[in-house]
Amino acid sequence: MGLGVLASRATRLSGRGNPSRSLFYVRTIVTKPELQSPEASSAAAAPEPTPDLPPRTPLGGARVHFPNPDDAIEVFVDGYPVKIPKGMTVLQACEVAGVDIPRFCYHNRLSIAGNCRMCLVEVEKSPKPVASCAMPALPGMKIKTDTPIAKKAREGVMEFLLMNHPLDCPICDQGGECDLQDQSMAFGSDRGRFTEVKRSVVDKNLGPLVKTVMTRCIQCTRCVRFATEIAGVQDLGMLGRGSGEEIGTYVEKLMTSELSGNVIDICPVGALTSKPFAFKARNWELKGTETIDVTDAVGSNIRIDSRGPEVMRILPRLNEDINEEWISDKTRFFYDGLKRQRLNDPMIRGADGRFKVVSWRDALAVVAEVLHQAKAKEVVGVAGKLSDAESMMALKDFLNRMGTNNVWCEGNGPNPNADLRSGYIMNTGISGLEKADTFLLVGTQPRVEAAMVNARIRKTVRATNAKVGYIGPPTDFNYDHQHLGTGPETLLQIAEGRHPFCSEISNAKNPAIIVGAGVFEREDKDAIFAAVDTIVKKYGNVVRPDWNGFNVLLLNAAQAAALDLGLVPESSESIETAKFVYLMGADDINLDKIPNDAFVVYQGHHGDRSVYRANVILPASAFSEKEGTYENTEGCPQQTLPAVPTVGDARDDWKIIRALSEVAGVRLPYDTVSGIRSRIRTVAPNLLSLEEREQATFAASLKPEVKQKISSTPFKAAVENFYMTDPITRASKIMAQCSALLAKK
Amino acid sequence: MAFRLTGVRVAANSGSLEEARGRVFEFFKSACRSIPQIMEIYNLHDVISESQLRSNIASQFRRNAHITNPKGGRGLQVIDMLVFKGMEELGNIVEHAKQRHHIIGQYVVGQHGLVQDLNPKDDAISPFLNNFYKTNYS
Ligand code: SF4
Ligand code: FES
Repeated sequence: MGLGVLASRATRLSGRGNPSRSLFYVRTIVTKPELQSPEASSAAAAPEPTPDLPPRTPLGGARVHFPNPDDAIEVFVDGYPVKIPKGMTVLQACEVAGVDIPRFCYHNRLSIAGNCRMCLVEVEKSPKPVASCAMPALPGMKIKTDTPIAKKAREGVMEFLLMNHPLDCPICDQGGECDLQDQSMAFGSDRGRFTEVKRSVVDKNLGPLVKTVMTRCIQCTRCVRFATEIAGVQDLGMLGRGSGEEIGTYVEKLMTSELSGNVIDICPVGALTSKPFAFKARNWELKGTETIDVTDAVGSNIRIDSRGPEVMRILPRLNEDINEEWISDKTRFFYDGLKRQRLNDPMIRGADGRFKVVSWRDALAVVAEVLHQAKAKEVVGVAGKLSDAESMMALKDFLNRMGTNNVWCEGNGPNPNADLRSGYIMNTGISGLEKADTFLLVGTQPRVEAAMVNARIRKTVRATNAKVGYIGPPTDFNYDHQHLGTGPETLLQIAEGRHPFCSEISNAKNPAIIVGAGVFEREDKDAIFAAVDTIVKKYGNVVRPDWNGFNVLLLNAAQAAALDLGLVPESSESIETAKFVYLMGADDINLDKIPNDAFVVYQGHHGDRSVYRANVILPASAFSEKEGTYENTEGCPQQTLPAVPTVGDARDDWKIIRALSEVAGVRLPYDTVSGIRSRIRTVAPNLLSLEEREQATFAASLKPEVKQKISSTPFKAAVENFYMTDPITRASKIMAQCSALLAKK
Repeated sequence: MAFRLTGVRVAANSGSLEEARGRVFEFFKSACRSIPQIMEIYNLHDVISESQLRSNIASQFRRNAHITNPKGGRGLQVIDMLVFKGMEELGNIVEHAKQRHHIIGQYVVGQHGLVQDLNPKDDAISPFLNNFYKTNYS
């Protein structure tokens, strides 16, 4: 690097020493005569550009990573020298140099198609402008991005694109965030020369999520490449040739992918837009709030776009370590559930079995009174799958003060192992999975449990031909895999070395074992983890100082934080003898287990399953309305931020518990979020280092001996319906449509 | 507009705190002078007495009693601005630009609504709980 800086300084000095050159240096050229004969003008500008430019910053903070320092080459972009690794394209080199090249078909996470021709630039000594996205940069190349030739070429491309593109921006949902609209501001002509009839294309039906207006399509094929490469469904394709070219599903068929919503983001024009968002709002009216998703344990980074008190849409946010720039359909479209079935007032069930609206004061007084009548042993608290760390901390502290420790988080099973952090998080990390070359999936269907993790595995399998072995019920994969078996016997066979897949694991450089959190609910959970442990010990390459390939794939946003905070029940049968049950958003527990004479308090934001059993309802705020900490399956804590105000008389979860504690006479010592966070610091300090993944320190080998016997019950699917997993998604109409149309029967 | 309150227009900005204070009193008096008319227009005799209405209006003034700086944080003439807003309001009321429920909601029942969650034990509870009963936000 040092040499490169020196070299660039040297050239700059020499540039300054030659005053005659600056006469020829013209930066933006729009004059007509020059446009008419671009060759001549570029010839005039040709005698070496002035390298006397201020250093530019790479676009969008792009960082250059040199895999091998020897492979660095130097190119000149508009006279400014940049060092880039070998193999980068001209377009990437320009990005490093801080020059934005207009583009339609190029997308840095998709393969290169080079079919839109918008990215044309001039390269010295090449007879024609070159498509920069498809051209590898060569050492010493002199790239010119704003010469008349390049400009004229782009204007030409734009004119051809607009020839058949409808001029209906005012009725198009992409308006305001449309690449074609933006770039036509720079390269579009002010009048058209096209007088014939525009071509029109029949719209395609891609299902309940993606709306198509195919006449607007500019045939960039980004959507086709996304579907085949990232989503792994071969549903979309290019049909026909010439002016008959169309994007479509080959047969009348819906696009069945859990990632299909992303084509809305990557389509540069308004051909593919969001069906639920159609004609709802313009993007400049919306307020964006950067927050995270809670519908699964991945914690995808999202942006909630809201208008006033309403969530209008959800978009992904870039996070290379977690979701790259994609999100699953559930994350993107479940937001309409936030407007339905909401609980907005405290309610008490009267003698006639109907709910009556009461004030907070009365509701809390009733709950506190009943709570004091129950014996400490008979009090049980269950945190739901969407709970944030703050409220779980408050719930645990509160119930501990009431003299009981029967508090847990749903999904973690009857006796979770919270002692060894490495035993319940994804130790490899989601982005770390890309280094793995053999996967063993035990009782997990990542495609429905954590679509973004599945996308990572697929990316790895595609890039490196990694092997995937799967133990569990037959299910859909969108990459090559071997179905090894359905039950734990197969796991035992591998542990004992009697299975052909053993050689795959032992030969692998970085094997990764992923155990699904569905296993937590099994009776023989400890034995299964012991078997996995045996595999880990047997093949020394699974866990070693520089690689930890033992992973648990959690299901819910609350799980990891709950285990970190130690929400572990004293006895697993406590709910069957309970007299007072406090459900903090827990809707997926088995309600039949609660005795009939128990008093059930439901605190939550949706009138879902548990409300039917509840005696008192305390309305709480949903994740889009509060600030809360969530830890994802790889152990990375992140925070949600309030995007919209709370509904009705609802309160934040931790505040309800704090208030109840005071009414019940065991006042919790924190009044503010920061107070509760200092309390968390004493229990699980890692939850406070936001966006930093804390590695689990203990190796799995410290586990105690297990005496349990493995049962032969086959693994069950942990998620029955990908589109409906929690109270919010169950209240969503769009998710209901999706499960009716798309979910695999 | 047929009717306009005369004599209480806010002139240019007040020069000093005394001047602003004087204007506030002027305005309060003109509000009090309109009370009989307001009672008549909105037919308020059966819900409130004149003196009660006057004290309700006075309490609205007292809500801003802490503002002592005629020039607010960003050079805004805060007191003048409040007086101006008050005059607009008074003008609207006297011109019958409002309806009866507006007046009842704002000046008869007051901010806290008809149902007041009052509890004699309230002194014993913490500020947190007190705020919790009122709103989710602090
Ligand atoms: S539908 Fe959109 S993404 Fe697909 S080819 Fe057409 S313009 Fe490109
Ligand atoms: S972006 Fe280069 S050809 Fe489309």
